[in-house]
Amino acid sequence: MSQVQARFFTENKKYLVDDVPFSIPAASEVADLSGVINKLLEANHDGHKHVEFDFLVRGQFLRTKLANHMETENISTEEVVEIEYVEKFTAPQPEECIMHDDWISSVEADSEWILTGSYDKTARIWSMEGKAVMTVAGHTDVVKDVAWVKRDGLSSLLLTTSLDQTIMLWEWNSERNEVKARHCCRGHAGSVDTVAVDPSRTKFCSGSWDKMLKIWSAVPTVEEDEMEEHNRPRKKQKTEQMGLTRTPLMTISGHNEAVSSVLWMDAEELCSASWDHTIRLWDAETGGQKSTLTGNKVFNCISYSPLCRRLASGSTDRHVRLWDPRSKDGSLVLLSLTSHNGWVTAVRWSPSHEHQLVSGSLDNVVKLWDTRSCKAPLYDLAAHEDKVLCVDWTENGHDLCCYRVSSMI
Amino acid sequence: ILDNTEYLYKMCVFESFPIQSRQKQKKLLHTGMSKFTLILTSLNLQVLDKCKIFSSVSLLVFITFSVRSQDIRNTVGNIPMEWYKDYPHIGYDLDGKKLFKPIRNKDELDEFLDKMENPDYWRTVQDKMTGADIRLSDEQVDLVHRLQQGKFGDVNFNEYEPAIDFFSNEVMIHPVTNRPQDKRSFIPSLIEKEKVGKLVHAIKMGWIKPRRPKETTPQYYDLWAKEDPNSILGRHKMHVPAPKMKLPGHEESYNPPPEYLMSEEERLAWEQQDPEDRKLSFLPQKFACLRAVPAYSRFIHERFERCLDLYLCPRQRKMRVNVNPEDLIPKLPKPKDLQPFPTTQSLVYRGHSSLVRSISVSPSGQWLVSGSDDCTVRFWEVSTARCLKTVEVGGAVKGVAWNPNPSICLVAVSYDDTVVLLNPGLGDRLVCTASDQLISSYEEPEEVKDQLVQWAVAEGEGHEQGHRLILKHPKAVRQVTWHGKGDYLACVMPDNGSSLQVVIHQVSKRRTQNPFRKNKGLVQCVSFHPIRPYFFVATQRYVRVYNLIKQELTKKLMANCKWISSMAIHPGGDNVICGSYDCRLAWFDLDLSTKPYKVLRHHKKALRSVAYHRHYPLFASGSDDGSVIVCHGMVYNDLLQNPLIVPVKVLKGHTITHDLGVLDVTFHPTQPWVFSSGSDGTVRLFT
Repeated sequence: MSQVQARFFTENKKYLVDDVPFSIPAASEVADLSGVINKLLEANHDGHKHVEFDFLVRGQFLRTKLANHMETENISTEEVVEIEYVEKFTAPQPEECIMHDDWISSVEADSEWILTGSYDKTARIWSMEGKAVMTVAGHTDVVKDVAWVKRDGLSSLLLTTSLDQTIMLWEWNSERNEVKARHCCRGHAGSVDTVAVDPSRTKFCSGSWDKMLKIWSAVPTVEEDEMEEHNRPRKKQKTEQMGLTRTPLMTISGHNEAVSSVLWMDAEELCSASWDHTIRLWDAETGGQKSTLTGNKVFNCISYSPLCRRLASGSTDRHVRLWDPRSKDGSLVLLSLTSHNGWVTAVRWSPSHEHQLVSGSLDNVVKLWDTRSCKAPLYDLAAHEDKVLCVDWTENGHDLCCYRVSSMI
Repeated sequence: ILDNTEYLYKMCVFESFPIQSRQKQKKLLHTGMSKFTLILTSLNLQVLDKCKIFSSVSLLVFITFSVRSQDIRNTVGNIPMEWYKDYPHIGYDLDGKKLFKPIRNKDELDEFLDKMENPDYWRTVQDKMTGADIRLSDEQVDLVHRLQQGKFGDVNFNEYEPAIDFFSNEVMIHPVTNRPQDKRSFIPSLIEKEKVGKLVHAIKMGWIKPRRPKETTPQYYDLWAKEDPNSILGRHKMHVPAPKMKLPGHEESYNPPPEYLMSEEERLAWEQQDPEDRKLSFLPQKFACLRAVPAYSRFIHERFERCLDLYLCPRQRKMRVNVNPEDLIPKLPKPKDLQPFPTTQSLVYRGHSSLVRSISVSPSGQWLVSGSDDCTVRFWEVSTARCLKTVEVGGAVKGVAWNPNPSICLVAVSYDDTVVLLNPGLGDRLVCTASDQLISSYEEPEEVKDQLVQWAVAEGEGHEQGHRLILKHPKAVRQVTWHGKGDYLACVMPDNGSSLQVVIHQVSKRRTQNPFRKNKGLVQCVSFHPIRPYFFVATQRYVRVYNLIKQELTKKLMANCKWISSMAIHPGGDNVICGSYDCRLAWFDLDLSTKPYKVLRHHKKALRSVAYHRHYPLFASGSDDGSVIVCHGMVYNDLLQNPLIVPVKVLKGHTITHDLGVLDVTFHPTQPWVFSSGSDGTVRLFT
């Protein structure tokens, strides 16, 4: 078998070729096929520039010779093979290296700014060019997680959670470059490890080592929430610098171990991952538990993609697992992505691409995955010299920020 | 010849002569018997045969005549004739006159001439009795010839005549002999009577047993009636034929095809090989024709080998009981089925610059404390291996122990002769402040007793670092351990010569007591029972279990090892494991026996530390060989079922420095994770 009948198609109108079967060598690889497409395009369009393509055969990326791939996938060589081609996702290059002088515990990027939380008890705001813009200091202990709440115009709201059992809601004015603590959310009895803001940007949920999930209001007010009367003076004194104390709207308990990661599936649904080997889905209105996904390892992180409606989880083994949160039996692992050598500490779906996710691990490597090629990651980003604790995408989805425990982003 | 003649003669005399002539017979016998000469008798043979038909008288006359015609008869009888050698006579005749020797004047020459000239010389014999020369007649020579050939003298005598058996079983009308029966045949025999009498007496006396009755059981039985048909088949199956010789092939031919002939190199190689290794035992050779083939020189050798083959070949198929050694190993579940247990190294907690002697995990599982020889105590975040806090103390840290009570945040640290209670300030703020308050709320009792140990409150810089209480002991403290409630703290000060080896502190009342009056050996480690008021004290060889309320010895466990190094109590409280410096780990079932239920010898070097998991059925041991061995140790609620112990994983990671490997192991309180601290200055987490 030396030749295979293949028909190429693509969804990108820019690179359309004639819908006719071609006879191509069975031993051809991605580069060969890419050459073929480029030739065809050159014949059709005059000003065509060379583009690298990637090829999908029945939803799986072609990574070996076409013949081998078809053999492993049990595709008949008698028929015309449908090959989809897409523009190749180019290898991400580290654009900026932001040096931090302590471990970074968390990172969140939006279109303009990058917010990082660090083990030096501060959170920082960086510009996209890697310039430190602001240092948010106020916690008495390690900052564990950070989140943007809202950005309207020049002022923006951001959240930091810390080992000192508090969550702080800050208001940052980017023009004047001032940060002001608006609220200090108290109520957790352990370090607050994770925080997530709901899609309406009015509430946020935090998960803590004390096994609790707490939902708080994210709207800054000028009034202090109700306080116990007897120790008001002391609190008052504290609030002067720390902002007004706020108490949770709702407390959700149900986990048997520390909550490691929390996120909002949509406005009504919460999802939390815990050290008790479960991912639980909660009703944010009532606080009731909707379903449970049980793994057999401690979950470190989860991420949900509204594009493909899958949950990705990283746990204290080497696998990134994909889950379907709608499945009722709750223990179905759709896919395991195995390539890391250490605990997977961070996973994040691409906000713009339904198949791509990024994972960071304690083995110092960040990997970019495509779920259509589950055997091996698309790219290994091995620029870090120490453990990776957190990764994030910027909002437009093309830049990848990965941030490490080491003092480098 | 004489006998024959005599017999014939006798026959002739007794059978043929009438009775009345007996007298003559006797006389004849008397004279004739001794005087028969060879010649005479041989002459007479023919005569006597014929005699039977002659009348007795005529025979007698004939005999007489024939005897007389021989003229002389020597009467000396059958004596050696040499006796007459020196006499002139040779004997006496019938009349008693001397018989003189004939004149022998022939000398050798005459004899020779005679021999040459006389044609009858060869048939001339000398009669010894008379000394006369006798010329034998032709008949006599014939007779001599026949006799020499071993034939009968009579030519006509048929030696194969049919024999007539006179005394046969056939009763004849006429008796062979007419002799009447003897009288004795009618009279009962006295001898027989005597014999019978003796037998009867012997039977009566019981000396002779009467013959046993015949056995009525059948003498023969069907050998194969009860035989198992399978065994017959088996016997056939078991048949081993003699090994067959290999049939000769082309190479053994006298004229083998050329490809069978060896080339020069092959021949050299063949010669250099050992005879056992040779493929062929001979060299194929080519001969022009079969005639040219020499004798086979190895024939005897080959036959001998063949005999050996036959002799040494198996005669019987031995059904050997094949015991697979693996079947003897008890069936243990596969480690895969005993998940979860730690399998890989996940995190390394780096920071200490010297060996880490002791580690302990906070009850929540979020923090880890480690004490090292570099005089620091470090607090780590378990999930990220981040060192959050480093506390300096005044000496190499021998032991650290996190208070197991989740509502108290205190860590006991022992170095030199001091035990410090640290408040690390980690975890819940409320708990930390509550712990501080608990310590500061102490009020001095009114009457101050002399304490074994000086209690002091840390102040100043120490307090900033987290030091809360400082306990100065009289001796170096090796181990600290908390009671499950978190109020009591036991310290070990190993000392061979003193009774003050173990002290128990009560933190809330700042009291110290020495529970033992006597020194029962060098104390290695102590431990509180997790539920009941028992106290375990491990000395070099024994583990003693004391009841703290009754203040008495409950049990003494014999560890069967040289030197116990560490001990851990199962959270259920009924099982104890002991690690020892002689590479053993002993599991005691307290309900079962005071001897170890099981001894595991998986480590290659001394064990330094053992630990149980609080929830999972796991225990781990750390050793100087740098490995941590995790075992599944299931304790069943059913009292009848013994604990199931399965080694599941060897965890390696620590490098061996100064001949020390793993110094301490401890489990995470909630996850199936194990921490180990080593002499390489690291703490490692295996998940």
